[in-house]
Amino acid sequence: MRGGSLALRAGAALLAALAAVALLSPLIATDLPLAVRGATGWRFPAFANWLPALLDAPAPAESAAEGERVVSAPVPYSPRNISLAERLEPPSRRHRLGTDELGRDVLARVIHGARISLVVGFCSALFALLIGCALGGCAGYFGGWIDGAVMRLVDAIIAFPFMILLLTIVAILEPGMATIVLALALTSWTAEARLVRGEVLRVRETEYATAAKAVGAGKGRIVVRHLIPNALAPAIVTTTFGVSGAILAESAISFLGFGISSPRASWGTILSSADDYLLQAWWLTAFPGIAIFLTVIACNLLGEGLRDALDPAGSQR
Amino acid sequence: MSGYLGRRLLTTAATLIGITLVVFGLMHLAPGDPALLLTGAVRGGRVPPPDVLEAIRAEHGLDRSLGAQYLAWAAAALRFDFGDSLAHRRPVRTVIAERIPATLLLNGLALLVALAIGIPLGVAAAARPGSLVDRGSAVVLFLLYSLPAFWVALLLIELFAVRLGVLPLMGMSSSGASVGRAGGLADRLEHLVLPVTVLAYGQIAFFARFVRSALRETLGTPFIRTARAKGAGSIRVLWIHGFRNTLVPLISLAGLVIPWLVSGSVVVEQIFQWDGIGRLFFGAVLARDYPLVLGLAVVTAVVTMAVSLCADLLYAVADPRVRVGEGR
Repeated sequence: MRGGSLALRAGAALLAALAAVALLSPLIATDLPLAVRGATGWRFPAFANWLPALLDAPAPAESAAEGERVVSAPVPYSPRNISLAERLEPPSRRHRLGTDELGRDVLARVIHGARISLVVGFCSALFALLIGCALGGCAGYFGGWIDGAVMRLVDAIIAFPFMILLLTIVAILEPGMATIVLALALTSWTAEARLVRGEVLRVRETEYATAAKAVGAGKGRIVVRHLIPNALAPAIVTTTFGVSGAILAESAISFLGFGISSPRASWGTILSSADDYLLQAWWLTAFPGIAIFLTVIACNLLGEGLRDALDPAGSQR
Repeated sequence: MSGYLGRRLLTTAATLIGITLVVFGLMHLAPGDPALLLTGAVRGGRVPPPDVLEAIRAEHGLDRSLGAQYLAWAAAALRFDFGDSLAHRRPVRTVIAERIPATLLLNGLALLVALAIGIPLGVAAAARPGSLVDRGSAVVLFLLYSLPAFWVALLLIELFAVRLGVLPLMGMSSSGASVGRAGGLADRLEHLVLPVTVLAYGQIAFFARFVRSALRETLGTPFIRTARAKGAGSIRVLWIHGFRNTLVPLISLAGLVIPWLVSGSVVVEQIFQWDGIGRLFFGAVLARDYPLVLGLAVVTAVVTMAVSLCADLLYAVADPRVRVGEGR
């Protein structure tokens, strides 16, 4: 048990740190000054641009006039700013993690990549949980042909290579983050659906479900208020692993050139260009990969910790 | 038993039809006029006049309704005729058949390596829970599991092919190495080392963890205590009494593993430029070559479901509890 809770705490802490980096990325890595003291008082350009930058809007130009005091960001580069004079520079004091083939700062790109990876990972896993709960819950509760149809669909998706289905959906729709989230959700809800269905089948026979029926609760209410909440605990563990799976999948398809495309900085996108410069630029391969590795570890630790916490019998085996 | 088999076959057929419907629908939702793709106009060629396009559509049946196209395709597919690939301009069947051996070699080897390392590791961990072997392997496997495969591939290529230069960068064989059979074999093996490693390392973690948890469960049952009590040696108890019982759930994984292997192959074959099914699939999706995508989808699904059907039957044969339970 001690080990389990350690995994839980370590995973949660690492994930919280990564989430903080993602949320603060427009303030940590930006070419906009954090604060400027001009003749008329203080201005805070990076803070003003926080929300637009989170939504990946291009930054407005901002220049401090002569004699103004400027507080710049810890990593004073935008992930998009191209500087061909500085292309493929190794890590240095100016560029802590070096620069890429267009002279963009790798550290800035890795920091902004955290946002994309976490948003894609969590959104798609949550949507997958929703789809899985809805379909699995219906299949378990109603049984009959509904159960048969849902389970055949689950079988079909499982029998089909996940990567191909993902690439096909991504190729059909407009490229972008929403497409990737949708494609990942549509391809990865099967584990949750199976779990929820099984739990609903189990819980349906319990006395409190019968009691709810006896006091006149409708079918929909029983499923939503009584059956699914009880089936949710194991499904949430699966969803946590789903987050890391989605982050890995997003980076893989971005690496293959199907996912998030440059100038946006996804970790997979950076690695995709690293492939062409293996000999010259090890830093392009190393750092985005480490970032993916750490994020996936954080999610997996959290998942293992949650599983042990929710099923103490299982952890002692 | 025969009722069980009949029901399994029926659901398998329904699943197959479902897969073809989904893929057929998806490919037709895709943007891009297949007639234009056929003429090569998309890849920078000249756009042909409308009457030529019409003729091409009529020739390939693209002018008919979606339902009619699907039925025509399905009727031909029942005879294993998947039409001609748009990009390769040859029968889909031949194109797929050519690529299967390469993927089979790569994935078969990776699976063997993974089982050969994963099973003993899982058994050793289960034999002494909480020991150094158990804890150490758990940590290492956890880390391996969390590594993105394509990144590992890049690192291995960078280290062994680019910096040390001891292994080939990519491809299935060197062009000059076909002289002599022994040389050819060594060359083949050299080209296999990196892709097999990348495909296998995640599976090692998967199999080892699976074997460990299944074996722990078996070792807790009374018949193991009985075996110990009658004086069976610890190795005998572990492998003969314990592991044989975890072999049964291990078999049932077989159906799951095939689609994973193909998924993993897509990325690994692309990185190492290995001309197998995964790379073919990738190229077909990219080029909207939907006769080929559909053909590949059907072949993969049929193989997957055949394997999982066999696994379930083996399961029923090996474990009387399943057979009796289903017979009721």
